[in-house]
Amino acid sequence: MIEISNLTKNYGDRKAIDSLNFTVKKGEVVGFLGPNGAGKTTTMKIITGFMAPTSGQVKVAGFDVFENPYEVKRRIGYLPETPPLYGDMVVTDFLEFVAKLKGVEDSRVNQLVARAVEKTQLGDVRHRLIQNLSKGYRQRVGLAQAIVSDPEILILDEPTVGLDPRQVAEIRTLLQELRGSHTIILSTHILPEVQATCERVIIINRGRIVAEDTLSGLSNRLRGGSYVQLRVRRNSSELAQALKAVGGVTSVEINGNNLKVHGTGTEELIEAVSELAVAKRAGLVELSHPEAGLEDIFIELTTQH
Amino acid sequence: MRAILLIARKDFKLIVTSPLFCFVAALCTVVWSLMYLSFLRQFAAQGLMANMQGGGAAAQSLMNSVFVQHISVVNLVLIFTLPAITMRLIAEEKKMRSYDLLLTSPISSTDIAVGKFLAGLGAATALLLISFIYPAGTSLIAKFHWPTLIILYFGIFLITALYAAAGLFASSLTDSAMLAVFMAVVFNLMIWFVGQSGAGSDVKWWATLSEYISVGNHLSNFLKGTLRVSSIVFFTSAVGFFVFLCQRVIESARWR
Ligand SMILES: Nc1ncnc2c1ncn2[C@@H]1O[C@H](COP(=O)(O)OP(=O)(O)OP(=O)(O)O)[C@@H](O)[C@H]1O
Ligand SMILES: [Mg+2]
Repeated sequence: MIEISNLTKNYGDRKAIDSLNFTVKKGEVVGFLGPNGAGKTTTMKIITGFMAPTSGQVKVAGFDVFENPYEVKRRIGYLPETPPLYGDMVVTDFLEFVAKLKGVEDSRVNQLVARAVEKTQLGDVRHRLIQNLSKGYRQRVGLAQAIVSDPEILILDEPTVGLDPRQVAEIRTLLQELRGSHTIILSTHILPEVQATCERVIIINRGRIVAEDTLSGLSNRLRGGSYVQLRVRRNSSELAQALKAVGGVTSVEINGNNLKVHGTGTEELIEAVSELAVAKRAGLVELSHPEAGLEDIFIELTTQH
Repeated sequence: MRAILLIARKDFKLIVTSPLFCFVAALCTVVWSLMYLSFLRQFAAQGLMANMQGGGAAAQSLMNSVFVQHISVVNLVLIFTLPAITMRLIAEEKKMRSYDLLLTSPISSTDIAVGKFLAGLGAATALLLISFIYPAGTSLIAKFHWPTLIILYFGIFLITALYAAAGLFASSLTDSAMLAVFMAVVFNLMIWFVGQSGAGSDVKWWATLSEYISVGNHLSNFLKGTLRVSSIVFFTSAVGFFVFLCQRVIESARWR
């Protein structure tokens, strides 16, 4: 659906992104991750046709962004970093304007506006001026304008910034609903968000891709495997000794009654650890497998060199 | 075409419902009312003498002394107030980042430039209509030659269109509304002076050219009640030129 090859963008003599290559398949939800200034926004601006790359190519649904800009732009709903809003317009008027701007036929406009309002839960403020809305509501209007034309592709630059936790959860549900029928790229700093919504992650740092994999693939890459965290009521050091002998366990960190067991093979590891904890009568009270430890991956990948 | 009208309608609505537009319209009304009354009073004083010479001459001088002066004031006021109305057309979109929405929509930069020009022209025309009330109202108390007045207004409409196009171009150059106003006023003044500079010049082609591009010249023809094709051609191409420049600026933003 989206193919990016050798994409480079220089602002003057600063390289914002440097020969990026990746593809996104139809129906995928891809998380675009990276520290501040990594080039996420820049990449998104190029995909949406907002600006031209210095070199390289972007193809969306088979169309080159700069040879067939209309075909591409018609298919993309874009939420930029700063939501593009007209303060002195009423929410529904604004969404209607955007729908028409995106080329939706007049007969479908009302229905699509109603749908976008419902999905982003803007019902209460639909007749209010945008400039009087709170930041979170404005962000929702921004999201509504991205989905109002029912585009095949959604490009969302930090979609949950400024939202309250309940709304964040609702946006996640919304993204879950849209996945499958829509291709979605979202950038974010919020790691749990990626874990909750994305199938695949692309981590970029200083304009280069440093990792591109599924979540579990990424976690396996880190330190050659994942870890299991457990809390027991007693016998923790004895248990730690026993755990070290289990096949697949590479190391055990012990901190009072908390143990962190590193090893390979996620499910086997969990099974072995829990069995042993019961056998040793350690009083197992908590066993967790922090999926991926994305935070660790993120920090490791973006601070090296 | 649909996109042009969509943008034109949206921007026109946003402009005329803004407090700034109401303020400008009120300001214009005050200035024009005061000036128009004083022109009428002057005319009445002269009229006592003109009465002895018969009605035709009086009608002629109503056109000359009142309407022509009124139009000059309208023109002068618009040079300084229209920039305040056209300033937001693009500069504000850039500042509020709604510009990103326009640039990532399936529409061309020409659609944007033309749509916004039409919105600016619409708002300017609304102001002109206010100024038209004065001479039109005068028809209740005095007789005059309507076609001459219409030509006069068609002329000032063309000039206003040129100010609107220049203001649009100024607005596309910056994201600061203040700077857009300032540049637009400078453009409007340049529009007046560039034609004046060649008058009486020894260089033959420059004198001819500057006569052609002199807005003052075209206006004085309108004031005489004559409408020339060359005037229409001149204003249409000048408007087209500014709208084209604006389109180039919008387009170039993608390549930086
Ligand atoms: N208009 C611009 N002119 C010059 N440099 C720019 C411009 N926009 C971005 N940059 C630079 O390009 C690099 C990438 O910026 P970009 O905004 O894409 O980062 P980002 O990954 O979106 O960061 P953030 O997480 O803070 O949003 C940065 O070094 C930034 O300073
Ligand atoms: Mg960014």
